[in-house]
Amino acid sequence: MKKGIIILILGLVAAAAAYGCVYFVCMSSARSLQQSDNPELAWLKEEFNLNDAEFKRVSELHAAYLPQCRDMCREIDANNVKLQTLLSGATNMTSEIAASLAESARLRSGCQTMMLRHFFQVSQAMPPEQGRRYLSWVKEKAFLPDYGMPKEK
Amino acid sequence: MKQNEPNNPDEALRGVLKEWRTDAPLPLRFQEAVWRRIEDARRARPAAPSAWAVIAHWVGTMLPRPALAASYVAILLAIGVTAGWAQAREQNSRVKSELGERYVRVLNPYQTPRQQ
Repeated sequence: MKKGIIILILGLVAAAAAYGCVYFVCMSSARSLQQSDNPELAWLKEEFNLNDAEFKRVSELHAAYLPQCRDMCREIDANNVKLQTLLSGATNMTSEIAASLAESARLRSGCQTMMLRHFFQVSQAMPPEQGRRYLSWVKEKAFLPDYGMPKEK
Repeated sequence: MKQNEPNNPDEALRGVLKEWRTDAPLPLRFQEAVWRRIEDARRARPAAPSAWAVIAHWVGTMLPRPALAASYVAILLAIGVTAGWAQAREQNSRVKSELGERYVRVLNPYQTPRQQ
């Protein structure tokens, strides 16, 4: 009986150890991505099989884009605050509201142009096949035709 | 009709039993002793083994056999490896999908998380 119990426990311990080891090894790639300095870019490198030179170029483009993105964020936020202030007391359409809405549309258009330009530049820094795959993926993610709203059935 | 036949042995036995009388007294607590014997006989009947007893018996007698022990450990190892691989695959996919979403959010001013 004692021998049987030892074998029983040994089997369970072996299963648990096998689970832990395989999980640990298989998760190493995701873990290293998460622990890197810039997980999003590390993911991009792995996902689109970029070599070091390509990755360096993509990182430079990314770093150059971020300040423009931050400026755009500030402009969008400022205009949103202005629009909300105008809307809060409004009972009729005013020229200020119309101007603020037009500014929102201009900002959205400018933002999309800026993003798209960046996506094209990044795709051109990649090998052609990966660049096409990147563009197809990123356009779908950033330019949803429904602006993220649920579709009617 | 059959009961009235004089040569019928059952009829004859029945007649003898009807006439039989005994003055011998029953032993003390006769009825109680009879019931006790019935109860003892019932208890002595072997009960169906419980699931736990079957497992314990199997672990004690069958599992120590080398071939069976090796198969048991190998099967559990395989289950552990498969479960670990499947779980890691799902987790990897989830992490990478999240990083992809984050990449787009960082680049899109309409999705970029704002500092409060």
